[in-house]
Amino acid sequence: MKGLTRRLLVRLGTGLVMVWVVATFTFFLVHALPGNPGDAQYEQYLTQGMAPETARAKVAVIYGFTSHEPLLQQYTSYMWQLLQGNLGVSISYTGEPVVQVIRAALPWTLFPVLTGLVVSFLVGVTAGVVAAVRRSSRWGGLLSLSGSLVAGVPSFVLALLLAFLFHTLWQILPFGDTSDVTLEPGFNGPYIASVISHAVLPVATYALLSYGGWLLAMKSSVVSVLGDDFILASELRGITPLTRMRYIARNAILPLFTVLALSLGFMFGGSVLIEDIFDYPGLGNLLLKSIGARDYPLMGGAFLLITVAIVLANILAELLYSVIDPRVRR
Amino acid sequence: MKRLTQLSAPVAALALLGALSACSSGSRTASGGGVYTTIDAKNPITAGAPMNPFNASGTAFIGYNTMQLGFDKKNALDPNDFFPGLAKSWTSTPTALTVELQPDAKWSDGSPVTADDIKTSMAVALTQGKAASGTALLTQGLDVAAVKSTGPHTVEIDQVAGAHNIGFTRLVLTQFIVPTKVYGSLLPADIWDTIAASQSQDPADADAAKAAVDKLNAAGQKISAFAPKSDVSAGPFVLTRVNPGSAVLDKNKYFYGAAKIAPKQVVVRHYTGNEQIWGYMTNGELDSAPYTSIPSNVLTQIQRAGYQRVDTVSYVDAAIAFNESVAPYDNRAVRQALAHVIDRQTVTKVGEPVGGTASPATTGLIQSAAKQLLTPEQLAALDPYTHDLAKATSLLEGAGFRKSGGKWMLPDGKPWTITLQTVNGFSDWIAASTVIANELSSFGIPTKPAVTADFATYQKEMADGKYPVGWWLTALGPDPSAAYQRLYGTSDGYTAVGAKVSHASGKDSGNWVNTPTSYTVDGTALDPGALTAKLSTMAPADQKPIVQQLARATNQELPMIQIWDYTNVQFTSPKHFTNFPRQGQDALLVNPPGVWMMQGYVQAK
Repeated sequence: MKGLTRRLLVRLGTGLVMVWVVATFTFFLVHALPGNPGDAQYEQYLTQGMAPETARAKVAVIYGFTSHEPLLQQYTSYMWQLLQGNLGVSISYTGEPVVQVIRAALPWTLFPVLTGLVVSFLVGVTAGVVAAVRRSSRWGGLLSLSGSLVAGVPSFVLALLLAFLFHTLWQILPFGDTSDVTLEPGFNGPYIASVISHAVLPVATYALLSYGGWLLAMKSSVVSVLGDDFILASELRGITPLTRMRYIARNAILPLFTVLALSLGFMFGGSVLIEDIFDYPGLGNLLLKSIGARDYPLMGGAFLLITVAIVLANILAELLYSVIDPRVRR
Repeated sequence: MKRLTQLSAPVAALALLGALSACSSGSRTASGGGVYTTIDAKNPITAGAPMNPFNASGTAFIGYNTMQLGFDKKNALDPNDFFPGLAKSWTSTPTALTVELQPDAKWSDGSPVTADDIKTSMAVALTQGKAASGTALLTQGLDVAAVKSTGPHTVEIDQVAGAHNIGFTRLVLTQFIVPTKVYGSLLPADIWDTIAASQSQDPADADAAKAAVDKLNAAGQKISAFAPKSDVSAGPFVLTRVNPGSAVLDKNKYFYGAAKIAPKQVVVRHYTGNEQIWGYMTNGELDSAPYTSIPSNVLTQIQRAGYQRVDTVSYVDAAIAFNESVAPYDNRAVRQALAHVIDRQTVTKVGEPVGGTASPATTGLIQSAAKQLLTPEQLAALDPYTHDLAKATSLLEGAGFRKSGGKWMLPDGKPWTITLQTVNGFSDWIAASTVIANELSSFGIPTKPAVTADFATYQKEMADGKYPVGWWLTALGPDPSAAYQRLYGTSDGYTAVGAKVSHASGKDSGNWVNTPTSYTVDGTALDPGALTAKLSTMAPADQKPIVQQLARATNQELPMIQIWDYTNVQFTSPKHFTNFPRQGQDALLVNPPGVWMMQGYVQAK
């Protein structure tokens, strides 16, 4: 237990250093992007038909929210604020706290990403076990083929295909937004059904994208465990098939936990593309908007959140690994 | 039996999906008569945005829940031509604007719209970067000095003494009118003293004026970040719910013209790009949609879904711009030769087949504005730069260029190649660039299109002079002064504060067009930057002679080659509503549907 606590503290310390490194890197990276918030917005106002003097006036307000201090000074101020949990105010939302803007979008990325991950993990891992155990049968072959096929499809192709089939062609699933805005939000059937139906396409995309990976990884891991001596020894001792499967699954799933943590990060990153295609207003959509508007605080906040999510997921995976595999605790 | 069992799972899943979608498609089924579903071109809706029209991302919709005294008809010849809004009528004098408010104007909580609300709104407007001092105040700023109630429903809005701002009426009428009860407490108690201090023209008070402008801007930041708990609207609708990706507005029963408003609800959908709007339309989910760039095949799908196309004027033109500090684009004959090589008809057919019309001539204005501002004789005298390779050859040879091995060589004998810069996201420019590159390459000038990652980068690199030849939006209007500022304004190194014009060039000047500061047109020397600055201080009736000079000069010198005028292609669906504005009603169609409804358009079927 003492070892586990020490391990946790070390991992948390390392995680904090990683967050600091990434926060520093992204701070300078986003400020190195060509362009600035005022010019980007001014051009947009003009092309919307706004008179130049009105556009200039509106941009002056945005300019007021843009820091004009030297970059290094901005950085120290940013880090100091960050230590106090303050991500600053958004430029493109002219003064709205970044935390508030992110808070509004975050649940709509977390919900489909986590659901997609859990669904793909459960389905993929189960299918992987079946594909490995029955690898000589027709079903085993078909399952492996399905994994290879899905794993090979680029995310945007899959997302566009699902959008075309279920929204445009058959018109059975909605597109855009998180629920039907005319419904009263709350714990009521129509609203919950609406939230679910709006999330089906992004969740299905996330799930399908990683399903193949889980299946193939689990199949390979199970096949490897099946050849281990302890399985043969257990079989010779006459254990039941269920116990045998438990032995196999517990040992085969271990390497997948590290991948699980990493894939959470990938899925968060992938949300930019998926949310854009499905017009689903989560963090990815917000990040795209903030990049186009050169909203440095919002970009920094969104990147930081993704980093923290990945670091935390890694720590969690390691802890879980320790619980599942006693050898790691030593 | 086994087969049936195997099929039961997917069948059940599909049935569940169907049930879910049936449960949640309320807005689509409810649209029959009551719910008007649309897109707001100026507000894509972003998660977490406050219900505040002064926030740059605010969830507020002009013409629905965000009201003005009037709504601009975008009349190129009369900038003060407006539809009534909260102002029933108005009269202008050289020093003031007197507004008669709609007698029944009420907020959505039932309280009346008063002169005090107008006064608060003008004060708030002056905090939103519109405050100016010195010469700028007197010629361009929102120079409101005082707001006085002169009757039960009349308000007098005074201009600063000595001001000469031709846009005063337009600026006042287009400000957002907000309730004092919501926004009043955000203003400093001494707001009008601060405004007065900011407007002092006494040079001795310059520091105090600057401090007052800073104080106004600080108040403005507080106001723009403000998040009201609920919407209080004087418009036909009031915002009742905002999702991360859509908003619903209910009919405001207290709206002064409620009898004219047919929809009981408006749903405004979110979008991130053209593709989402196309998707909504091909599914028949929108009752009207604003302009989006559309390829021909998508247009067919949209029309097949039952939408009617309505074309209106768009004060934007796509052009190929030159950086004249880079040879050989500093040579007028070269620019003219390129204009003869590019077949604008063909390029437009590929680049903007639905929403574009090939520009008949380069004047700095869109063609419909040119027709209003130039005489038929002046239009006829312009060089259309028709597709004429022989003329291009003759112009280049006259400038010392020679052809060798089928390729044009620069006068110094070096090969001439062009990189035509465009930007990611502008699919029309990218498609058109390929055609132009083919035309120029076939003519003997090897040309390749290049794409910049995003518009902010494109803008910065263009301003830094990195692109000798690239796409640009020009002829922004409807005011000809705005159109020529695009050519001979900051991007050409000119800065105008009132009638005073300065010119800069070189690194960090923002001057990437680099035209000469003097053109000789028909034997007369003229300074395009000075003339453009002068335009902004002149009444429309007096602008024509200068516009004519600038159009002639631009046609001769070609600082940019206009390729196509955009057409504002909108779509309306007759599925749930009828009596939409029709083709030709440009003044209405350049405004959002909320303004159409206020004028009695859009009725339930």
